[in-house]
Amino acid sequence: MKTLLRLLSLYRPAWRWMAAGTLVALVVVLANVALMGVAGWFLAAMAAAGIAGATMNYFTPAAAIRAFAILRTGGRYLERLITHEATLRFLARLRVWFYTRIEPAAPAVLQPYRGGDLLSRIRADIDALDNFYLRTLQPAVVAAVGSVLACAFLALYDGRIAAIDLLLLALAGLGVPLLTGYLGRRPGARIVHTGAALRTAIVDTVAGMSELSVYGALPRQTERVGRLSRALIADQERMSRIAGLGAAGTMLAAQLAVWSTFVLGAGLLRAGALSGPQLPMLVLVAMASFEAVSDLPAGFQYLGHTLAAARRIFELADAPPAIADPPGPSPHPVDAGLELRGVRLRMEPSGPWVLDGIDLQIAAGRHLAVVGPSGAGKSTLAALLLRLREYQEGGVRLGGHDLRAYRAADARRLFGALTQDTHLFNTTIRENLRLAAPEADEAALRAALRAAAVEEEIMALPEGLDTYVGEGGLRLSGGQARRVALARVLLRSAPILLLDEPTEGLDMNTAAAVLDGVLEHARERTLILITHRLAGLARFDEIAVLEGGRILERGRHETLMARGGRYRRLHEVFSARPDAGG
Amino acid sequence: MSRSPTPTAERHTEMRDETAGGAGAPADAWLRSNAGGGSVALRAAVALGLCGGVLLIVQAWLLARVVAGAVFHRLGPTVLAPELYGLLAVFAARAAVTALTQWAAFRAAATVKHGLRMRLLERLRTLGPLRLTGEHRGELANTLADGVEALEGYYARFLPQMALAVLVPAAILAVVYAQDWISGTVLLVTGPAIPFFMILIGKGAESLNRRQWRRLARLSAHFLDALQGLTTLKLFDASRREAEMVARLSEEYRRSTMAVLRIAFLSSLALEFLAVVSIALVAVLVGFRLLWGDLHFETGFLVLLLAPEFYLPLRTLGTHYHARMEAIGAAERIAAILETPVAPPVHTAPARRAPAPVAVHELRLERVRCRYDDGPWVLDDVSLTLKRGERIALVGPTGAGKSTLLHLLLGFLQPTEGRVSIDGTALEDLDPDEWRRAIAWVPQRPRLFHGTVRDNIRLADPGADAARVEAAARDAFADEFIRALPRGYDTLVGEGGRGLSGGETQRLALARAFLKDAPLVLMDEATASLDAHSEERIGRALQRLSAGRAVLTVAHRLATVREADRILVLDRGRIVESGTHRALAARDGLYRALLTAGLEGV
Repeated sequence: MKTLLRLLSLYRPAWRWMAAGTLVALVVVLANVALMGVAGWFLAAMAAAGIAGATMNYFTPAAAIRAFAILRTGGRYLERLITHEATLRFLARLRVWFYTRIEPAAPAVLQPYRGGDLLSRIRADIDALDNFYLRTLQPAVVAAVGSVLACAFLALYDGRIAAIDLLLLALAGLGVPLLTGYLGRRPGARIVHTGAALRTAIVDTVAGMSELSVYGALPRQTERVGRLSRALIADQERMSRIAGLGAAGTMLAAQLAVWSTFVLGAGLLRAGALSGPQLPMLVLVAMASFEAVSDLPAGFQYLGHTLAAARRIFELADAPPAIADPPGPSPHPVDAGLELRGVRLRMEPSGPWVLDGIDLQIAAGRHLAVVGPSGAGKSTLAALLLRLREYQEGGVRLGGHDLRAYRAADARRLFGALTQDTHLFNTTIRENLRLAAPEADEAALRAALRAAAVEEEIMALPEGLDTYVGEGGLRLSGGQARRVALARVLLRSAPILLLDEPTEGLDMNTAAAVLDGVLEHARERTLILITHRLAGLARFDEIAVLEGGRILERGRHETLMARGGRYRRLHEVFSARPDAGG
Repeated sequence: MSRSPTPTAERHTEMRDETAGGAGAPADAWLRSNAGGGSVALRAAVALGLCGGVLLIVQAWLLARVVAGAVFHRLGPTVLAPELYGLLAVFAARAAVTALTQWAAFRAAATVKHGLRMRLLERLRTLGPLRLTGEHRGELANTLADGVEALEGYYARFLPQMALAVLVPAAILAVVYAQDWISGTVLLVTGPAIPFFMILIGKGAESLNRRQWRRLARLSAHFLDALQGLTTLKLFDASRREAEMVARLSEEYRRSTMAVLRIAFLSSLALEFLAVVSIALVAVLVGFRLLWGDLHFETGFLVLLLAPEFYLPLRTLGTHYHARMEAIGAAERIAAILETPVAPPVHTAPARRAPAPVAVHELRLERVRCRYDDGPWVLDDVSLTLKRGERIALVGPTGAGKSTLLHLLLGFLQPTEGRVSIDGTALEDLDPDEWRRAIAWVPQRPRLFHGTVRDNIRLADPGADAARVEAAARDAFADEFIRALPRGYDTLVGEGGRGLSGGETQRLALARAFLKDAPLVLMDEATASLDAHSEERIGRALQRLSAGRAVLTVAHRLATVREADRILVLDRGRIVESGTHRALAARDGLYRALLTAGLEGV
């Protein structure tokens, strides 16, 4: 109920459109009731007049029939336009609302949603919310008001007819959907569950095909998919049968209304309480009144989906911000130096420490490389410095002030940062670069691409800078996308460069060229390079080896190699090309 | 191996483009031709639907009769009892038929869905793992899961309704004609106009619709893009700008959509108008003839009752149109997979299949050359012998053909030239499944399947008891971390389960290999550096696993090659050096270059 009210409150700005749309929808339903009623009356009256050889005023009813027909058709058109207007207005607002709500809590709140699939679910959830008005709210109002008005008309002639009709309307519009909803609850839940299991089994089969083949487990896995597919279909069949019963029940209610209206009406006719033409009129009014409740069963179904979607969306929107900003304005940094003392960070209150006592000093203008195996905490260190993650213990100083004295956005302004999950937006390369510097001219963009060792490749594309990069940059090669993202960072004039694996996915030569460009670009700036690639580290002022959330070794390349510790062991690998020529 | 043939993706986009221009006719035909398994149920659904149509006519006739009797002959319910009970019986029958129709239609869809899903799965199996690489794995999985589901609306609603939209109006028309030819003519003239208008306006509306659909998809994609890039936007201080962008785009979308809808809805306006006005026309025409005494009330009322039902099936068909569109989209993807050619042939099915040797004493490659389609040679003149108890390490730069060599041995690929033999029997003469029984394989990034840790270890032997599973885990140094998991061996891993670190996953894969206890071990060492603890354990486990087996490792670490009996250096598909670590390190060749490149950087 709370979710429902909150959802309604989101709709508030569009309420005039919604009200108008509902009103017109009501007119459409009632026009049909009137059309059928008048037509029934008209036919009987004309026939009676014909038998009696009397004359009758047929202009008025014939005109009414035409008028109601036009009202219904035109009304339907207007209804469609207005309800879509309402929905689109709501949709626009909802997206902006959700985006601004979630922004302060990102990326931590979206962490479980890293996979594209789950993000698509957010999108689907949002889309489900704008169904609410069209599928549930408006049909419900139309059903309630339409039924009551139709029955009020019937009550002018006979209370019993009206009461039975109302009862059967309630049965068709409320009773049957509630019953099918109740019956379908368990198979419905199983469908969601089995569907997810089926999808997982399919993903496992596709992605693990080679291991399944080698371990002789493919027939078993295929059988498992088959079993889940059959189980899903069995539950869907149960649901389908329930839905079929629901449809039959609704239909039966409408027919019984017609039948009882006739039986009672025929009695009234014989008793002289009703004129002849009024009987077919009442029968047809009762019949047509069921159109008012025809959208309700679907509405109930959507309501369940919508509320579930709304709950998920609200939960995300209510996530607390990842970082609490200080009340006052940020201090002015005196330089571009960083200092960490005994910093510890974990993702959950009782989880393991991801950073477990980090001590690091980076004087302004110095170049530091952080190396270590995957899972060592390197990227978390970057997230901490960028104020995307809050640390629990220890102290961090940035530019001579406590990191927490800065507003998060102000702290971030000091960094040009390339994160591992950096995103290329689905627009042109030019637009992607301009994200960093909206006023940058062509020369500046190309200089940045040059520094990232990707200028030639981009300019060789048929559309050069105006090439669309595709969803997530997929139209570029992985290496190109990475370097374009790097160029974007280099465009930003920030005193500290923080680069997390800038050479990921690049071949040795390109990686070397990229490193040249970065070092050249960082000559006057502080540089923190996070990498698991070890080439070229001799050119750094200092190297820190991070493992298990701690810094194991620190020093220059030569010192660490001579020491023969962890750093040297990391070097003992074969994986890449030895020299330029191959 | 970075080369992966991706015919699926290409065909996919091809078909998409084709249908973006046309009306989805080939997909429609494909969908119809695949109704096979469900055709009995489908026919039953149509027959039942027609039955419902006949009952509807009977109901209208009975209703007209009783109303006429009551109004013009003042007959009471007692006199009309037979008709009234008849009506109740028809009501019950119609309700039953309605439920049964839906059920039959669902059965039709269910049969097709399950059949297609299993056919797709079989197809993927014959395509083999080498074709299932990279990003379209996700797409393939989507097609098998959701794509197949999207067909339901087509088979369960659209297709039966297609038939009913012709049959039921025809039946009604016949009855109305027999009763009153003037009304019949009104229906006959306006009836075909509905599908005619539907097609005429529908064609335009379809392209409008599709454009609109694309625009909505774009808006939706933009929103998703903004969500995905939220961190990036924050880092560039651009999140506020983006919020304005989302607002602006949504507003633009609203304007453009409404402009289109104003036109697009005209088509439904026309249809609605046609139906409603012709009902009104029938009513008025009937009314005048009643006044003139040319027609009985009973007949007139029957015609009035039937007129709306004449148009209903056609309009219902319209509401299922979306189901058709959705199914067509999915059908294109499904057809693309089913029609992907299987090349190169993975199994050439020779006349005789020798059983695989239980123990591999000697694995031999003689002048093997390999390539994909007409590409360059990925393996070029490779000869090697691997004996039981021997440990070979394979090193070489990226793209040298190391993975291809593994795939060859795993039977996912056949040599284009040359010969692979095991204890004298050619690999191609062995049943691939039999042969793979002799292999334990530890890939670079082992897959954790959805299930418990225990189930993951006993992948090769689901019947293995706890003692064997735990022994294998102990051998792989996996037991220690497994016991520390919240539910030990019963912890759920894989999709939706608990994540394991790279080192833990490797050890679990090694436990799999220990449990399988196969004579040949193939291992692709992880390139990403592991933490020192895992690395050391994995090294020791591998050493244990090697005892008494033939081992081929694609090596990335110095520690691994030091342990090897022989090192093969592969470059651009050729073996350029071979020997022990000591011998190769002393020589000024590729091996030393690779080693020093690692040690000194560039």
